[in-house]
Amino acid sequence: MNYILFIIKAAFEDFNRNKMKTFLTSLGITIGVSSVVLLIALGLGLKAYIQGQFDTFGTNNLYVIPGSLSGGFSGGPPTTQLFDDKDVSSLKRIPGIANTIPVYEKYMKVEGPVTTKTYQVTTSSEEIFSTLTIKIQYGTLYTKSDVAKGAKKIVLGPKAAEKLFGAASSAIGKNATINGSAYKVVGVFEAKGGGSFGGPSIDDAIYMPVTASLSFNPTKKYASIYLKVRDSSFITPVKKEATTVMSKRYKTDEFSVIEQTELIKTINSIFGVLNTVLIAIAAISLIVGGVGIMNIMYMSVVERIREIGIRRAIGATKKDILYQFMAEAVLLSGLGGLTGLLFSWIVILFLQTLFPAYIDAPTIAIAIGVSSAVGIIFGVAPAKKAADLSPMEAIRYE
Amino acid sequence: MINLSHVSKEYKLSGESFFALRDVSFEIKEKELLAILGPSGSGKSTVMHIIGLLDNPTEGTVKINGKDVSKYTDNELSLARNETIGFVFQQFNLINKLTILENILLPTIYTRHKLTFDPKTRAMELIAKFGLLGKERSFPNKISGGQQQRVAIARALIMNPKLVLADEPTGNLDTKTGNAILDLLEKLNKEDGVTVVIITHEPDVANRCKRKLYIRDGKLYTKSDYTV
Ligand SMILES: Nc1ncnc2c1ncn2[C@@H]1O[C@H](COP(=O)(O)OP(=O)(O)O)[C@@H](O)[C@H]1O
Ligand SMILES: [Mg+2]
Repeated sequence: MNYILFIIKAAFEDFNRNKMKTFLTSLGITIGVSSVVLLIALGLGLKAYIQGQFDTFGTNNLYVIPGSLSGGFSGGPPTTQLFDDKDVSSLKRIPGIANTIPVYEKYMKVEGPVTTKTYQVTTSSEEIFSTLTIKIQYGTLYTKSDVAKGAKKIVLGPKAAEKLFGAASSAIGKNATINGSAYKVVGVFEAKGGGSFGGPSIDDAIYMPVTASLSFNPTKKYASIYLKVRDSSFITPVKKEATTVMSKRYKTDEFSVIEQTELIKTINSIFGVLNTVLIAIAAISLIVGGVGIMNIMYMSVVERIREIGIRRAIGATKKDILYQFMAEAVLLSGLGGLTGLLFSWIVILFLQTLFPAYIDAPTIAIAIGVSSAVGIIFGVAPAKKAADLSPMEAIRYE
Repeated sequence: MINLSHVSKEYKLSGESFFALRDVSFEIKEKELLAILGPSGSGKSTVMHIIGLLDNPTEGTVKINGKDVSKYTDNELSLARNETIGFVFQQFNLINKLTILENILLPTIYTRHKLTFDPKTRAMELIAKFGLLGKERSFPNKISGGQQQRVAIARALIMNPKLVLADEPTGNLDTKTGNAILDLLEKLNKEDGVTVVIITHEPDVANRCKRKLYIRDGKLYTKSDYTV
């Protein structure tokens, strides 16, 4: 115990004497650990963000989308407009379905009195509001009869309303121009949060009756159809029945009926692969940092040959010398790792104002473990060299 | 206590062989004060490194209390150096980044047996005994050569070794300071019964020892057959 403390104390005293050298040597590890930890934190944040986005959609939803999920969207890009009213009415007949909501989304330039900006315009039926648990704050939602009539009415998210009309409350009754036609704002819904880095937030959404979008969706095709089932026990039978219904018109790889959890899983796995690749690239900098430590440790051994000889003369074993230099390398890289962890933690605190990035206990353990491991791996060769010096040669060394 | 028989040390330098020691045999007896006298380059340090278990002979055997050390493992050799041998060098060989107290305590860090004394108490006793009180927190390069050599002796003594090997202990000191160091080593032998081997090239230094051995060109002589 005394011995371990002594070794650690000696190493720290050495670091204290060579602050600049210590800092520069551990900098490589600091950078490596920071980049790995930040990427992990962003990955975790992204996962939380996606989950959050789906949570705002409510539960008990099934999605009918083009392409085959298992084949990695092989049926075509997910934005393909494939489905039409015929599909909607046949799906509606499935027992257990509460709502059948066709959805067509398009990025459109929207002109308001204050600004003109591009928004994702979602055209759907009035049922989308209850499916996505959207609650009105100002004005009203468009109704079934609006959908039937093809009324040029829109419902805005609070952020979009504020941007286009200056204030959410003042948007009601005013017009916005989309694709050359005027659309009347009938309602602004309650903020739901989510979305950052300019990413889509439901608060930026613009909804209009699907029948009012014929000018930019003339064939009345839908990109996807949301199915809201009566309760979770219907999910499996409705999914099965919907698949049967859809396969009458489409090949099995042209469409998928998926549950919310599957969708989240698929999205997460795509981002997960990307994140892992990035982390692996960042980990290369840890190797570079490790080589830096090895280099400095070799120099340190040469500088201290005489000291090694003295220690051997008064009774230090090869192992004692090995441990001394190993401890130094591990503390050097561990210190770099801790600094990296601290640095990334500060960066994450800033990021959190924009994005739900966070680090968890396993990440901290990985950062400390990996940086110590780097010290062990790259410290062992110089330490072995120090330990294997002949005591006589070392003590004679000028 | 230590017996060298037919010990040779051969160095191969660019293919040419060079003998730093040739067929050296002698014994160091318990509690004796022995001098090994010889000119520079004669092999004095080489013989001390072999006695001190820092180096192996290329030929011959070294026995400690009858045991052949060539069969010792690194751990056993280190243990023997730690517990039974104390070194004093010409260049003091203190570790400059450690304080005086830490230097003196260093051998106790590497011990593998439970100490029968409290290291700090013993270190402070030695510090007091050698007139170093008040210097324990100083660093070696902040004190005089004589003081440094006394620190080195304190370090050599902290584990209560049976044998102290001093390689030119006065080589870097003026005569007066050197004599004080020799007094100290002499006292150690006389009063505490520690075996002391003093290695030197100065006849005056060697003359203070009861028994003298002479070395030249790697060959060992007793007084009778040594000619200067
Ligand atoms: N590691 C070594 N390699 C080659 N020659 C050496 C080595 N160590 C000592 N010698 C040679 O051995 C001889 C004796 O050296 P040493 O024992 O240091 O002499 P002394 O201590 O009496 O001055 C010298 O000629 C020295 O150059
Ligand atoms: Mg010498």
